[in-house]
Amino acid sequence: MKKFATFQPWLTLSFRLILGTVLLLAGYLKAKAPSEAQQAVRAYKLLPVAIANLIALTLPWVEIGAGLLLIVGLAVTYSAIVGGALMLVFVAAISQAWARGLSIDCGCFGGGGQVAPGHTKYLQEIARDLGLTLTAVFLYRYPHGKFGVDKSHDLGAKNER
Amino acid sequence: MSGSKKPVNKSGGNRNVAIGMILFVVLIGVLFSVLSNKTNSHVAIPSSVSAADGYGIVFNKDAKVRVDVWEDFQCPSCRAFEAVSGDYLNGLVRSGKIKAVFHPMSFIGPESILTAAAAACTADSGKFLDMHSMLYSNQPASENSGKWTKASLNLLAVAAGDTSKSTQSCINSGKYVNWTKNIEADAAKKNVNSTPTLFINGVQLNQAHYRNLAAFKADFLAVGVK
Repeated sequence: MKKFATFQPWLTLSFRLILGTVLLLAGYLKAKAPSEAQQAVRAYKLLPVAIANLIALTLPWVEIGAGLLLIVGLAVTYSAIVGGALMLVFVAAISQAWARGLSIDCGCFGGGGQVAPGHTKYLQEIARDLGLTLTAVFLYRYPHGKFGVDKSHDLGAKNER
Repeated sequence: MSGSKKPVNKSGGNRNVAIGMILFVVLIGVLFSVLSNKTNSHVAIPSSVSAADGYGIVFNKDAKVRVDVWEDFQCPSCRAFEAVSGDYLNGLVRSGKIKAVFHPMSFIGPESILTAAAAACTADSGKFLDMHSMLYSNQPASENSGKWTKASLNLLAVAAGDTSKSTQSCINSGKYVNWTKNIEADAAKKNVNSTPTLFINGVQLNQAHYRNLAAFKADFLAVGVK
């Protein structure tokens, strides 16, 4: 238990940086290639075209925002909820594409859209996003770590003493 | 939270400002993305282009059978399609048997934008089909490699038989660069998710027919085009 108390702030820091950097990068790559991002979201064939297009333009900025908050360590509880929820949505979307036999790239880091059958990477994509979900769960439970801007003010913080 | 009341209040204010700034960036970003990805009716467009035809470059606007070609000059599959069926399709267009609407997309990147805009310049002097073939037969091996520049596109336009001064200045000034965004916005609306994508009278071409000239011809025969 004592050991965990020493490691936890560092774990929180690493998870913040991992999840935050992934979100920031993913958001940046999509925001700078909006047409591709729109293609990628439409290719999931989940939503009406107009809504898919709008989501493709909005989502990257939400990722960038959550990523920035996580990296600097602000409102970690909330940004972890956003990050974790996004990951679960991605897992669901990728799984349904796989189950329906679509051949698409997840478009997680820009690009995306249809790919040749046999060139899909659904399992890797789902595993990566589930792993990131776990980091989000940890951050939700232990939002306070090293070098976070928020010290003891994070609403909903559970591990403060 | 005990023992840290005072600094909390102070840094709490700064903290909210910082969070507010990040949320502001998110909001502005969303607004920017949404506004810059709408079709814009104020940009310069080639003479054969109209909003009604999705800002595509139109040939034979009164022909009964309509073909929509969604393509990206940097896309290797588009080059493959052009190599298999380009001559046949161009023949149908030149002989006036079909209405053709070309939608040069630019999602592959900056050189697609340059190329689509340059191709649109040649449309104004009636050389689009020649430029179209010229571009595919000179497609660089990799995307956005730096090989397609205003200078090289000018040379290709001349090689395609377009020696007009207006085309040259059109390419150099990037006259139709903003028009390419309208094509992208329209593609998003029409749910075009890959290139090449063709529609014959609104029906999407069978995936297997892009590299099968006989099947492609049969599709036209089915709508009465010989």
